[in-house]
Amino acid sequence: MTATIPGSAAPAVDSLQADASEAAPGGSRFRSLLRRPSFIVSVLIVVWWVVAAIGWHLVGLQPYAKTGELLASPTWAHPFGTDNLGRDMFARVVAGAGPALLIGPFGALLATIIGGALGLVAGYYRGVVDTLMMRFFDVLLALPSLIFLVVLVGAFGIGPGALILIVGILFAPGIARIIRAATLVEMGKSYVTAAKLQGERDVRILFRELLPNVLPNLVIQATLSLAAAVFITASLSFLGLGSQPPSADWGLAINENRVYLQTAWWTVVFPAVGVASLVVAANLIADNIREVSR
Amino acid sequence: MTTTSVERRTVLLGLLGRRIVQIPVVLLVVSILTFWLLQVVPGNPGRNALGQYATVAQVRAWNHTNGLDGSLVGRYLHWIGGFFAGDWGQSLVYSTAVKELVIGRLGNSLLLGLYAFVIMVPVAIALGSAQAYREGRRSDRAITVGLLSLSAVPEFVVGVVLLLVFAVWLRVVPVQSAADASGDFLDRLRVMTLPAVVLALGYLAVLTRMVRSGTSEAITSQFHRTAVLKGLSPAAVVRRHVIRNALVPTLSVLGIYLGTLLGGSVIVETLFGYPGLGALLVTAAERKDVLLLEGGVMITGAVSLLALLLTDICFVLMDPRIRFDARESR
Repeated sequence: MTATIPGSAAPAVDSLQADASEAAPGGSRFRSLLRRPSFIVSVLIVVWWVVAAIGWHLVGLQPYAKTGELLASPTWAHPFGTDNLGRDMFARVVAGAGPALLIGPFGALLATIIGGALGLVAGYYRGVVDTLMMRFFDVLLALPSLIFLVVLVGAFGIGPGALILIVGILFAPGIARIIRAATLVEMGKSYVTAAKLQGERDVRILFRELLPNVLPNLVIQATLSLAAAVFITASLSFLGLGSQPPSADWGLAINENRVYLQTAWWTVVFPAVGVASLVVAANLIADNIREVSR
Repeated sequence: MTTTSVERRTVLLGLLGRRIVQIPVVLLVVSILTFWLLQVVPGNPGRNALGQYATVAQVRAWNHTNGLDGSLVGRYLHWIGGFFAGDWGQSLVYSTAVKELVIGRLGNSLLLGLYAFVIMVPVAIALGSAQAYREGRRSDRAITVGLLSLSAVPEFVVGVVLLLVFAVWLRVVPVQSAADASGDFLDRLRVMTLPAVVLALGYLAVLTRMVRSGTSEAITSQFHRTAVLKGLSPAAVVRRHVIRNALVPTLSVLGIYLGTLLGGSVIVETLFGYPGLGALLVTAAERKDVLLLEGGVMITGAVSLLALLLTDICFVLMDPRIRFDARESR
């Protein structure tokens, strides 16, 4: 976190951290993050999956080729066993990080940009635009989110670009609401009035005055929606509405292999560990950031 | 808390009146949105349904009888008119009437959702209140951390683990839950238990959290201390002073979840092969079955809105302090 809050840094600085008091609030917050074991472990897990996603083909793993017996149980040659086509499960689990990390981060980024912009505009102008926007979001949030998701998939399809757009649309309303609330709080402060009296243009007030002050909120929302986006994309692949065979995607692997659950548990359990570790780690990172920025 | 029953009835009627206007409007917006989004889909539905050997005239006739030709607005009006008249069109994938298909699956989903609800609520209340009474202790922290990590794991992972333990190793339940109506009630219940438990586990964390904070607020309040000091028995204190106050904040979450649970839980139904509404909608989206998807979304939307209404009514009945004008003008 590099965000500093000029007007309201006081509550964020923990009185216990006297040694860090020289640094900027952002710096001390970052250091208090580094003292949290759950944060460090989570970051390491995420970094491991990112490295796996980018680097699996550099180390000679073969997730798509038949390299052993069909449905062989774990051995030294195949530590995670093999699947019904004789493909090495270890290679597939490692390579599965790729699709898992393709949609989520970009979708969360898109949602943060759309949601942040809409929230700022709604909170700043209020009036009809605000009311219409919020009522419209109420309608969207009235539908169970997976049903909404299914409709969007029906409309846009399941290509990576479409899925990024879908995740963006799905998470933007929630972010917009929170940023709108934060903007309304900021609007009551005198620096906004001062900027208006100085005759600053709306765009400048929105992005140079208000945005930096709601940025901590936005960062928290971004990390939370990253975790949720990874969760959602894994769910979509599980439903067959995401990556298609022969992709090594974890959700897809669980769906394809669950018929072998009775005979070959390893084909299901290791991809499940992959999804679970990534989603839980992303959630823990978001929680830790939220706790230190209070 | 001295509102007379007359006043309460006025609040209730006002609420009902407002919702009776609101719910159709929201559903109408949902229907327009869904319709518009799904018509963005490229491709000719008549051609998809009849296959490549149908003549152009046949395709055109099929599109016409299913209300799929003409302008977008015209098609929408045709569809929504039919929807209100009870004709929801034909499913392209299943070649049967959408209405029967959706209503039948909705019944299955409602059953599963209610079962999950019945499992979830008592467990959440027990855990949450136990936590509130031992707030700050190690057991309190442990339950919170355990439940939150459980809810962070996708449902299909939890489901797989439970299947492995209970269906593969212990063999107490079957792996597939394709419950058909022919089995007797107990048989069906046994088949549905695992899906319902998985469904309940996903929502347990937030619900328990709400019960915990509600209870903890109630037992640290002045009126609670007064009740204890004036010598009421512990059971009477809980019954008359804690329960109501503890459960009011819980209700709002419950309403949202009830809608989601009843509207079909896509993941759990797919994992266990349970024939519910959610799984049906996934098939519809996959195969671009536009009319089926539209009908299903309308019904899901209606069910969630009705669940929210039900929650609001419970709110008024349980907590006379609530005035809905305050909640509306957030």
